[in-house]
Amino acid sequence: MFINPEVPLDSLPSADDLDWQPLHPRFVRRLQVGALVRVLVVGIIGSAAYFLMTSGDSAAMARFADRLLPFALTAFGLFAASVLLWPMIAVPRRGYVVREKDILHKSGVLWRSVKAVPFNRVQHTKLDSGLLDRRFGLANLSVFPAGAGGHRIRGLGTDTAEQLRVYVSERIEAEALDPADED
Amino acid sequence: MKPSEPADWRRISPFAVVFFVGKTTRNLVRGYVQLVATFGALAVLIRGTPYAALLIPLALLVIVAIAGLRFWSFRFRIEEDRIVIRQGILKRTSVDLPFHRIQGINVERNPVDRLLGLVTVSLDTAGSETTEGELPCVSRELAEELRRRIGFGDQGRSDERPGVAEGTVPGVPDIDRDRARRKGDRAPGRVLLRLSAGDMFRIGLGRDNILFAMMLIAAAWRRPRELPYRLAETFGFSEDLVRPALETAEATLARTDALGEGTFTGGIVLSALAAVVAVGVGTAFLRYFRFTLWREGTAYRSRGGLLTQNEVVVETAKVQQLTLSQDMLLRMLHRFRLRMHPAADADASEHHDVPRVLEVPLLEAPLAQEMRASVFGEEGEGPILLPKSDDFRTVSPLYIQALALRLAVVPAMAGAILLLPVTGLTKVWATFAGTWAAIWIVCGGLTALQRWRRQGYVYGNDGMAGRSGFVGRRVDAFLYRKAQSVALKRSPIERRNGLATLEVELASDTVTVPYIDQGVARRLRDYILYTVEASRRRWH
Repeated sequence: MFINPEVPLDSLPSADDLDWQPLHPRFVRRLQVGALVRVLVVGIIGSAAYFLMTSGDSAAMARFADRLLPFALTAFGLFAASVLLWPMIAVPRRGYVVREKDILHKSGVLWRSVKAVPFNRVQHTKLDSGLLDRRFGLANLSVFPAGAGGHRIRGLGTDTAEQLRVYVSERIEAEALDPADED
Repeated sequence: MKPSEPADWRRISPFAVVFFVGKTTRNLVRGYVQLVATFGALAVLIRGTPYAALLIPLALLVIVAIAGLRFWSFRFRIEEDRIVIRQGILKRTSVDLPFHRIQGINVERNPVDRLLGLVTVSLDTAGSETTEGELPCVSRELAEELRRRIGFGDQGRSDERPGVAEGTVPGVPDIDRDRARRKGDRAPGRVLLRLSAGDMFRIGLGRDNILFAMMLIAAAWRRPRELPYRLAETFGFSEDLVRPALETAEATLARTDALGEGTFTGGIVLSALAAVVAVGVGTAFLRYFRFTLWREGTAYRSRGGLLTQNEVVVETAKVQQLTLSQDMLLRMLHRFRLRMHPAADADASEHHDVPRVLEVPLLEAPLAQEMRASVFGEEGEGPILLPKSDDFRTVSPLYIQALALRLAVVPAMAGAILLLPVTGLTKVWATFAGTWAAIWIVCGGLTALQRWRRQGYVYGNDGMAGRSGFVGRRVDAFLYRKAQSVALKRSPIERRNGLATLEVELASDTVTVPYIDQGVARRLRDYILYTVEASRRRWH
């Protein structure tokens, strides 16, 4: 069923064996700092809850809190360790490739995903950089095709991100001018 | 019809003030929800002063004044190839909509509009800039003129799709068409479908929520035995206030002996069922009363509704995706529901209260096939619509395992772990956790099996379709060249077994085909990308 005489399928450019560009090396640290903030917030809320429960009048509540404590501490420890270590595992597995006609982004450790956005479907691009990102000299590039919410590549160096944005914008314009896109 | 050249600024009907009052109020209410704390504090402050009551008429006055100003500032101009809408009191906005960017036209007539012979027109645009054009309270003639000038169903565009331009006769002057419409309230073009009152019952009955309601009632079937006692007990607490109610309840109680109980139970179940059916059918009447679907040149057009009449026009070339679905009761009736999706705005859910998708609530297979053929044209052998088709390939049975894992094992384990601190590692815990896990594994496993049976996909040279569902069935069909982005996802199970999930993002929705052979998925991905990047045709 899947035949196309004009273009033999084997000659189609494959999106499998690509030279993936890694993200900026500082991105791991940036994610870890973000995770640390989250761990601290959860820790503060948790200990506040514990002290509220034990300092209250109800003895039953205090006993329940004490019984809960080992479980809560284990869960918190696991959460903290995984959140702090995760970026070191996840970031090396992310990457992007810019081709002539599209941009690809891979991500995920267990659930791996490779997403391709053709330039002739991109409506506009966006560069953003939060407080933490800026401290680490990083920026995120988003490309927006029609309809969907857009696709974001996080953790690029500021210069790389700007170069990429300019390149993508040029490609979009080139695709728009290309007579192949007219009917 | 007035000639609109030379183009000058036009105003909408003054009745639009009513429309703007509604809109302003809605905006204010939305603001209230966000600032509820502030306003709550204000209310407490004002409570002491009796003059606070004056605020209410004042607020109403302000709303009406704002609405009046909004009407006053609202102007639009129809030019050769575009429409410009200017509005705003403090912040002036001017929306410039080139006709070729317009994806669909929705025309809505609420009861007030219908009395006055006015309509509200919404113009849908693709892309993420929120340039939605809305023309409230304009004449029907203007809506028609706009529709024609934008070129929906126009002969000029039909060269895109040779062989599909039957329907309207090119030579018929526009004025005649308009007169014909005003006379018989019937639009030109070939009528494809007209739904009768009986169909409203079918639509109302054919929704899955009715089925679930029935199941719920069936589950409650054994309860009514206790119901009168419970009722009496509850009423007994509040004594004097509900004495009449208590008496009726007791009278009912007295009557519901061994013999009467069956009747009583049956009565409750039947009336609950009747209520559910009435709501379903009533909704169908409200939304689809006198639903008519017709073909105009290269466009499809639908109109229906009891109080608020809604009209949707979609140009076939701009359709991104066709969705054919069938709930269980519709399946018994051998009917389907079809939706044609044009490109959606990025934040469509926020800005559209008007349905922008052309939905045919009830149709038979041949019409669905005909519509598919005309939308996809000569590219249409790939995307098959009918869910029963033998061309659908099943996905890997490992999908059952993955789904069951997600649906059953995760909640079972979560329940067991959450129970642990409450009971400790005791026999009680083991019993509870065991029962809990068994229930989840059986339910989740069966659900996963059923969903796997529904899952399927089919592909051709130009397009593909994905099938999914649980109780009902649903097929999403699209052409490769309409894709916006393609993703290949692989879970641990998929990686171990050489499978992959293909996700194609369209301008309307995302179609997912899970657990297919990774070679097929990769080839499809590369082929879709190639088609998108090399296609010489517009996607919208």
